[in-house]
Amino acid sequence: MTAATDPVDIAPAGRSPWRDARLRFLRNRAAVASLVVLTLITLACVFGPMLLPNAFDSVDWNLMSNPPTRAGWHLFGTDELGRDLLVRTLIGGRISLMVGLLATLVSVCIGVVWGAVAGFAGGRVDGVMMRIVDMAYAVPYLLIAILVVTVFGRDILLVVGAIAAFSWLDMARVVRGQTLSIKSREFVEAARAIGVPTWRIIFQHVVPNLMGVVVIYTSILVPGVILTESVLSFLGLGVQEPMTSWGVLIHDGAAVMAAAPWMILFPAGALSITLYCANFIGDGLRDALDPKER
Amino acid sequence: MWAYVVRRLLVTIPTVLAVVTICYLLLHVTPGGPFDAERKVSDAVLANLQAKYHLDLPLWKQYLLYLNDLVHGDLGASFRYADWSVNDLVARALPVSLAIGGTAMVIAVIVGVALGIVAALRQNSAVDVLVMLFGNIGSVLPSFVLGPVLVLVFAIMLPWLPSGGWDDFAPRYMILPIVLLTLINISTIGRIMRGSLIEVLSSNFIRTARAKGLPMRLVVMRHALRPALLPVVSVIGPLAISSITSAIVTESWFSIPGLGKLIVNGASDRDYTLVLGLVVLVTVLAVLLNLVVDLAYAWLDPKIRY
Amino acid sequence: MNLRRQSSLARILVAASAFALVCAHAATIPPGTVLATKQEMVRNTGAEPESLDPAYIESVSAGEIDRDLFEGLTSTDHHSNVVPGVAESWKQTDATTWVFKLRKNAVWSNGQPVTAEDFVYSWRRFLDPKTAAKIASTYGVYLLNGIEIVNGKKPPAELGVKAIDKLTLEVKTAGPVPFLPAVVSVAQFGPQPKAVVDKLGKDWTKPGNMVSNGAYVLKDWQVNSKVVVEKNPTYWDAANVQLTRVTFLCVEDNNADLKLYQSGEEDYMQQIAPGAYNALKAQYPKEIHNGPLLGLRFYGLNNTDPLLKDVRVRKALSMVIDRDILANKVTADGQVPLYGLAVKGLSAIQQTRYDWADWPMDKRVAEAKKLLTEAGVKPGTHLKFTYNNSDYHKKMAIFAASEWKTKLGLDTDMDSLEFKVLIRKRHDGDFQIARHGWVVTFNDATLFLSLIQCGSDVNDDRSCNKKADELIAQGNASTDPAKREALLTQAAKLAMDDYPLIPLLQYSVPRLIKPWVGGYDEANGMDRYRSKDFYILKH
Repeated sequence: MTAATDPVDIAPAGRSPWRDARLRFLRNRAAVASLVVLTLITLACVFGPMLLPNAFDSVDWNLMSNPPTRAGWHLFGTDELGRDLLVRTLIGGRISLMVGLLATLVSVCIGVVWGAVAGFAGGRVDGVMMRIVDMAYAVPYLLIAILVVTVFGRDILLVVGAIAAFSWLDMARVVRGQTLSIKSREFVEAARAIGVPTWRIIFQHVVPNLMGVVVIYTSILVPGVILTESVLSFLGLGVQEPMTSWGVLIHDGAAVMAAAPWMILFPAGALSITLYCANFIGDGLRDALDPKER
Repeated sequence: MWAYVVRRLLVTIPTVLAVVTICYLLLHVTPGGPFDAERKVSDAVLANLQAKYHLDLPLWKQYLLYLNDLVHGDLGASFRYADWSVNDLVARALPVSLAIGGTAMVIAVIVGVALGIVAALRQNSAVDVLVMLFGNIGSVLPSFVLGPVLVLVFAIMLPWLPSGGWDDFAPRYMILPIVLLTLINISTIGRIMRGSLIEVLSSNFIRTARAKGLPMRLVVMRHALRPALLPVVSVIGPLAISSITSAIVTESWFSIPGLGKLIVNGASDRDYTLVLGLVVLVTVLAVLLNLVVDLAYAWLDPKIRY
Repeated sequence: MNLRRQSSLARILVAASAFALVCAHAATIPPGTVLATKQEMVRNTGAEPESLDPAYIESVSAGEIDRDLFEGLTSTDHHSNVVPGVAESWKQTDATTWVFKLRKNAVWSNGQPVTAEDFVYSWRRFLDPKTAAKIASTYGVYLLNGIEIVNGKKPPAELGVKAIDKLTLEVKTAGPVPFLPAVVSVAQFGPQPKAVVDKLGKDWTKPGNMVSNGAYVLKDWQVNSKVVVEKNPTYWDAANVQLTRVTFLCVEDNNADLKLYQSGEEDYMQQIAPGAYNALKAQYPKEIHNGPLLGLRFYGLNNTDPLLKDVRVRKALSMVIDRDILANKVTADGQVPLYGLAVKGLSAIQQTRYDWADWPMDKRVAEAKKLLTEAGVKPGTHLKFTYNNSDYHKKMAIFAASEWKTKLGLDTDMDSLEFKVLIRKRHDGDFQIARHGWVVTFNDATLFLSLIQCGSDVNDDRSCNKKADELIAQGNASTDPAKREALLTQAAKLAMDDYPLIPLLQYSVPRLIKPWVGGYDEANGMDRYRSKDFYILKH
């Protein structure tokens, strides 16, 4: 018997579930297209302002509220202070995307852990943890935001924190509900019966089954977070002049929608496209990561 | 089961107490007070005001006075709306917000679930994409864009509806705000429904039903819908709460005298009693709604036990 | 033209001789005007009233509604003139004593006559510390023992107001107040019905409970929605009141306001959104109105701040701002540049102007740079600018920051705050440069001068020019209106040469009003209107 005929060597190469997921994702055309678009937008926001000749905060009193034009690279027009909208949209994108990503990440982490633990533990622990969530709901977030900013000063990370602080609640609730349902399924009973430790059950069995709902809800969180940031910025609690974000640009543009439609069109368009892409990617990820898909 | 309900209802009391205490402290810590005005309030007047509203007492004493009133159902006098008690203000604003937010929720659930089902059944097809595209308008465009667009189209270009205002629950003032809130909520519900239904449809028991030859419609209605609704029901609670109590942009754009306006004005004017009163209301609503949601879980998934 | 108007106004107000104006002042309808059959109006006041009780009113919007419901001794008409109200005549008998004669046919809406005793009760209640009216000290300062009563040092019974008989009221002021008739026209000095207040307490202002003596009575009040008033048939001048029903809205958002106007839900906007003026002017040429308001937009400078202590620095900051661009391009809604403290139309004072206001900008910049160098301030120094979050203020602030940057090389750190927090910081002196605005509640120069008087409650800048203060005191003690005007003008110039603040623009009031509303006067610098001055044309 030679080594070449060793049964181990002629076993077929295994297929990892991640590879399967990736293939499934790539088959979803909407999701792939969205990924491409989103990448392009991100690249534009990060590198665009460095390449364009206009600065985002240079005011020009002679060019106030101009419609889009090829002259001077004012492709998106100018705002009420004569600042170039193209650059401002891209700069604003940086803030919105960053806040969206960070705040969502933090919310998801806290929310998933909280909800899974509460749902799985059940009984009194569940009761206490969910009552805490109920209580957190009742506190007006405006008050917290005002307090945080006036006491600790203005800082983009604080905005992220303030938004994350009340965005994790919904995620926790959704996750807890789903956990309650998964907990009572046969494979969990089986795992328990054979003595798998609880933490392992949670992280190896419950959480992967939660992924679908979590991914969907995450892609619902992202627009919510970005919009909350714009409301806070408007109240003077978010980004400070001259820095801007999509939310702030849209809000400013909404006020003069009838007179200068380009001021709202471009930032709202950028936001909408980004969020639509996020949605499609979210749905695609959910479909791809579904353990029961063949 | 009933023991569970009773237990949950009893827990409302410490919950409300805890929230009120936290908010109470927060309000008094936040800079700016209810008496800051453009013209400086002279020290003498400030002293008079504080005496009148018991703000010159030590914090714990004020707190106990407030709790005492709370137990008797008296939410106190508002600072910002000096002629009205908080009870009056809440009693007038709540029905308005319920009418608008509640109706919006009901419609959003019906339409959102329907859209989600359609999209899930035609997964990855052009129909799926289109349905999701439409359904997502509400989450992708902020309310302060959608609102003006709705008004521009239906109130100004086509003078069918008023652009805002309120007249004793007259339907024509309610239509546009309800449409706005509904659009926003449809997208959340629709997407969760779609995702959840797709998952459920690939379960074994569904395969069995299909293998037995049951038509798809029956499969969905009789077997798949219940478990798929679980995550949807999870979000109905928070969505309903926020539609009723935090529809701030909708209420200020359409000039609706609801709870959202009260809470924004209350927070920015540091109207302690008003904010606390609203906090009590929201807590009670949240607890009750979540109880209903949790009971609904048990109905939807018979294996969930309390 | 302005001078003549101001002096004649002053003469009317300050005359030590008897007034005998018996004519009714109300809607002066030009002959031949055809009126509509339905005389109703919907008007936006811009904010939900904090109260309808005269003692508790603070805001302009609540004041507007209350002046329809309650009429004081005097009133302000739609030309900013002080006209007889419940008092049909008054005279100043000595430097600090005035006697008001009330008219016989003034009655409350429940039929009871309005007597001098009503005013005694109401004013005492307004200043009583137990009532805790927020602006009691602002107005109490004019009456004898007013401030002492607010401080709790004297009982309300010692207030300088006495009912000589049922229809005669004697008012004693704390020091000479030449403009007292203007002071008592404000809503806070309106009468309150003692019997009703005693019986119902806080609920007396609710619809169905309220008893009022003005041209209108309260029909309905839905918080955060509307206040509806209807014509009072027992009002003494009811024959001249055209509008039978007025609805006051409280929409704060300018865009929502505009949409309500465009869809026909209201007849009278509160204010046009910033940046929209030119477009709306072109779209509604017959409905747009814009007139000067007796108000000043300025930037407060903390005179005690280490960087701004030096008058040269303050002067430099003020010199380089191009107020023409600010007025014509940045705000672009008809406001007028200001280079002094007093605004156009303000009574008892002449406007002053810095001499460098007419220099070309290059010369101003060169001079400013020189001043900064002398003061030892280098380019790259950071300025701290505080303002309250609003698109309008933001725009102006960005402009100012860019002026200071491009012309003087100074960087500005912008801090946008909630309004309440801004006020606090200003009062506490926790600012370097802060956005500020000042609008009069009655037409007299002292209201503006208080901004620069040493130790004044409203002087957030903590500026002090003792000589100017002396001149102001002399002016107020004078009984000769021309002399008073000269002294006050001199005082203002002196104080402003210290550059305590940066004056920018005079407020204007751009708004849209439906063409069928009659009675609006763009020259009304106080922007106070009584509904009895309006009428609806046939349309």
